[in-house]
Amino acid sequence: MRSSQIVSFLKRSASYLVVGFWSIFSVFFVLWIILASLKKTRDLFGSPWSLPDNPVFGNYVKTWISNRFGDYFLNSFIVVNVSVVSILLVSVPAAYVLSRGNFRGQRALSNFIASGMGVPFPLLFVPLFVIMATLRLIDTLTGLTIVYVALSIPFTIYVLEGFFSSLPSELESAAIMDGCTDFEVFRWVMLPLAAPGIATVAILNFIGLWNEYQLSLVLINSPEKRTLSLGIYSLITSMQYSGGDWAGLFAGVTIVMVPTIALFIALSEKMISGITMGGVK
Amino acid sequence: MRRRMIVAFLAPAVGLYTVFLVAPAIQAFYLSLFQTSGFGDQTVWLGLGNYVKLWSDTVFWRSLYNMAIIMFVGGVFIFGLAFVFTMLLNSGMWGKKLFRALIFMPNIIAVVAITTFWSFVFMPRYGLLTSFLKELGLASLATTAWTAPQNVFFSMLVGLVWISTGFFTILILAGADKIPTDMFEAARLEGASNLQIFTQITIPMMWDVIIITLVLWATQAIKMVEFPYAFGGPNIDQNLYTPGIYLYIMGFGQREPVYALGYATAIGVVLFVLTVLAIVAIRILLRRDRVEF
Repeated sequence: MRSSQIVSFLKRSASYLVVGFWSIFSVFFVLWIILASLKKTRDLFGSPWSLPDNPVFGNYVKTWISNRFGDYFLNSFIVVNVSVVSILLVSVPAAYVLSRGNFRGQRALSNFIASGMGVPFPLLFVPLFVIMATLRLIDTLTGLTIVYVALSIPFTIYVLEGFFSSLPSELESAAIMDGCTDFEVFRWVMLPLAAPGIATVAILNFIGLWNEYQLSLVLINSPEKRTLSLGIYSLITSMQYSGGDWAGLFAGVTIVMVPTIALFIALSEKMISGITMGGVK
Repeated sequence: MRRRMIVAFLAPAVGLYTVFLVAPAIQAFYLSLFQTSGFGDQTVWLGLGNYVKLWSDTVFWRSLYNMAIIMFVGGVFIFGLAFVFTMLLNSGMWGKKLFRALIFMPNIIAVVAITTFWSFVFMPRYGLLTSFLKELGLASLATTAWTAPQNVFFSMLVGLVWISTGFFTILILAGADKIPTDMFEAARLEGASNLQIFTQITIPMMWDVIIITLVLWATQAIKMVEFPYAFGGPNIDQNLYTPGIYLYIMGFGQREPVYALGYATAIGVVLFVLTVLAIVAIRILLRRDRVEF
């Protein structure tokens, strides 16, 4: 009996060790970057593991102003927020009709939209570049926003359809009995019920687009229109010539990751359940 | 629901989706048949010429090989680790939600942020890994050039496996959590071992989830651009090329754009075909009768 207890104790300890190590590495990753951004580059190279003796915020000033991360932050903030609002404005009604409506070709249309999730984005690089050039929207934040909205529609509608179809139909019928029009049922009954689901896809889209950079790499060229991810990438490129200002780079990395980490700390359960619902229905 | 409302509710989404996703995807097939720089100058009809050229392009084959390594070698590690974490987290551990959130966390951080960190880890001479190995007294390992052409791909793969493991762990864990717990209790009462429970109950009961996650991973691996591209930095090493990166470089280049837009798009079409083939292959190879419960 006792030896089996020891074995189970060892097993449990090993579990905590493995899972704990992996989890702590995530924390280490974030903390190390933040600490690195508070060091001088010389100290960062000399003693990468130590705490900064006297934290310097100069890296942030330099990155925010001379490296124009202030502008990039604003660009990212505007593009991502306008995109997320637009995504919701077009996707919520469409998902509602696709899951609660009753018309011919409903299923086919639903599948047609979901199939967009299977399109590898690199396939679209050149055609989108050509289309945006024709529309004179290449190298504009408007063009980037339009592409973000269009390419987010399949996933958003797919997840929202799941939320809408899980809502009870009794309230819907009751509202119709009370003389509500179709639109009133949507606006005053179903929309409030779906609010948690809508919030979830809004957050997931916010994070996805905040971190996105392959499409912006293709569509944006002017330095003043860079998003944060492009800003970091261009900082890395320029470091080839100007020598490695790694501490400044990590200040930029901190600026790009703080908003999503803050959201994650507040809403991790919601986000994880949203993703697993979308992936594993 | 009235017809007018159905049309009004669907039109904006379907319109945007059709114009900026479906149409470009179809246009890609057409563009891939030309030699063009996209600026209206000589556009030369090549027929399947771009594909013939791709067939004998060693860089393209190299990128396909890298893609395959990411998919299979990376996949074995990612799914292996995801299953291990699922088993451990479901063995009655305290703090399951906290650990799950921390394991998943890298996925909400910008790819460029993650690759910048990993570049510093693998940096020659001053990198975190080198200084860590020095601390441990492993001087010979510490001098390994992790970003040298022969090693850079696997250094990249370490970081990629790290994030992807978090992503697939939450999916597989969610699949395992859907299995009714009384099945496990019954099996335990019958004296089944952990391994038996895993192979006889967990795996068959979550077969659907396994197929979905494998499809997700295969399609992600095929269209992979961001992680290896950002890890490679400017003048990215060809050892890091995936087909998507090669597409970008042929189309828009690094410092000196190539603008071989037709050729680049042909690569995109190959990616699309590979995606479809992968989905069909996984569904056929792993088809099983659904376990009802």
